[in-house]
Amino acid sequence: MKLTYRLAALAALIATPLPAVAATIEAVMYKNPQCSCCESYAAYLEQNGFKVDIKPVNNLSQISSDAGVPADLEGCHTLMVDGYVIDGLVPIDIVRKLLTERPAISGITLAGMPTGAPGMGGEKSGTWTIYAFTKDGKAPTVYATR
Amino acid sequence: MSRCSPSTEIAKGIRVHSDFHHLISRRGFLIAAAGVAASAPMRPVRASATEERRIKVAPSQARLTGTDGPQTPVWAYDGTVPGPTLRLRQREPARIVVDNGLDEDTTVHWHGIRLPNAMDGVPGLTQKPIKPGESFVYEFTPPDAGTFWYHPHADSLVQLGRGLAGALIVEEAEPVAVDRDLLWLLQDWRLAKDGQIAAGFGNMMDAAMSGRVGNVVTINGTVPADQLVKAGERIRLRLANASLARIMALRFEGHRPVVVAIDGQPCDPHEPDSGRLVLAPAMRIDVMLDMQGDPGKRYAVIDDFYDGLAYTLTTLAYDEAPPLRAHPLDAPVGLPRNPLPAPDLAGAERQEIVLQGGMMGGGKLAGVGGMMGMGMPGMNGEAAWAINGTSMTGDGHAGMAPQFTLRRGTTCHLTMRNETAWWHPMHIHGFSMSVLSRNGSSVPHRQWQDTVLLAPKDTIECAFVADNPGDWMLHCHVADHQMAGLMTVFRVT
Repeated sequence: MKLTYRLAALAALIATPLPAVAATIEAVMYKNPQCSCCESYAAYLEQNGFKVDIKPVNNLSQISSDAGVPADLEGCHTLMVDGYVIDGLVPIDIVRKLLTERPAISGITLAGMPTGAPGMGGEKSGTWTIYAFTKDGKAPTVYATR
Repeated sequence: MSRCSPSTEIAKGIRVHSDFHHLISRRGFLIAAAGVAASAPMRPVRASATEERRIKVAPSQARLTGTDGPQTPVWAYDGTVPGPTLRLRQREPARIVVDNGLDEDTTVHWHGIRLPNAMDGVPGLTQKPIKPGESFVYEFTPPDAGTFWYHPHADSLVQLGRGLAGALIVEEAEPVAVDRDLLWLLQDWRLAKDGQIAAGFGNMMDAAMSGRVGNVVTINGTVPADQLVKAGERIRLRLANASLARIMALRFEGHRPVVVAIDGQPCDPHEPDSGRLVLAPAMRIDVMLDMQGDPGKRYAVIDDFYDGLAYTLTTLAYDEAPPLRAHPLDAPVGLPRNPLPAPDLAGAERQEIVLQGGMMGGGKLAGVGGMMGMGMPGMNGEAAWAINGTSMTGDGHAGMAPQFTLRRGTTCHLTMRNETAWWHPMHIHGFSMSVLSRNGSSVPHRQWQDTVLLAPKDTIECAFVADNPGDWMLHCHVADHQMAGLMTVFRVT
């Protein structure tokens, strides 16, 4: 098991370039105390050079709302990283794109818990749309699709 | 419609006292009534065997965090949060007039009371909703003594979440030997930073996960200060969880509470597993607490239900005085049993309900709630949950087709299977159920419940005698879950 895990991590390392600065990136994840897939997503982030401080909260929807995530686009947890909000199970390359490009937005979100997303099991089906949102009341825009 | 004027009340004679119903206990009322009787010998001691009450539902204000805290706009019964504690007597009739001063429909559900279907308070199903400015008269005779409660069954999530809840205590015919009889009506509020009730009722993430759990818990309407207790006293503590969604697991540091009733129904007295009293929304637990702590000392009451989110709910603060008595009270702690009909398990009709859906639900709602590919049950106001593949959403309405029908007098052996990844307190209207087994292990202590908590993947078996005709609801009492489809109806002919 452990060997498989290491090999997988190694494969991930080879397959995806590390951010320019290889130092760990600190992130805080707010999640429902009873939701387990968020922890799998946190593990996925950690395999990709992040250090995730997991904070279970009972009022996640209030936290994501305060962070500016549109109510109809909420993901299953809210991550605060490097001045941005990343809501839901956003794939790592899109997270890196955000932290590299540093657009003038509050954050990005992948709504719901799509099957096949990082942290979820199953096969991906259909297209995922990752939206960018701001806190100024403007409509969300498409940041990336997958 | 406003409350009766004092003159109307006086014209009704003895009912003048009921105008102060939230200030005096029923016993106080009886003493006051007796006083009137003494000065007017022709009048019977009790003007009527029927307990008459009038309750107004209307917007109000409450200081939830204490007298120095901000005013929070709430919806309230008779202006108070929680509503007045109604004290009725077992087997004596009650007549309760409810005036709706809200801008929307309401009803009152007398949670746990076995009563005629037309008094059950489900809009569309058992009565027409009470429109703004209108009234409804609820009349019933509680057969069971115990701790019950009342709350709306219309726009349930919002009305309960804005504070509409109160305790209904049915007193035993013979008083129980305790030094004090206390009630903790627990409510959980989601407040914004300014102390106002946070927006976002019906949020889809709440609906599809654990419901709208809040950030402030109150006991009897305020964030609790210390609970003052005396060494040596025996307290009957009635715990009632009137939260929308918060499940609690209470531990009384340094004390050994003995459970004597669950959901109002006496059980064999027992200490709970690991000393934790698990109290899901709508559940009640009566415990006997012998205060065997040291005078002057303090003991925390901790709620540690959610992993990583334990907090001290309140503190038992002992008076400095020496113990009231050297040894705990000798009197037995058990309560007299209520007249519940005994199930005939051999001749029972078996029914099964399966709870489905929610986040991490494995796509069970595909084709029901339309979560194809998206993995987001509850999106766009659609159902997030289902029972046996059918999602009944909202609070109740006309024409809800029963999931199953029982001939009157039949024993129903009901299996409830939770296929979801979430906890569900399942509430049956109109009946108390004998809880037979949990995940194949028999449930001890002869427990009867109207609200049975299912952990993720739990299977519970219960039984009840279908002795009361009508269309009855069976639903999850996490209000968001009920609204988003975790509800069904059965019929007794």
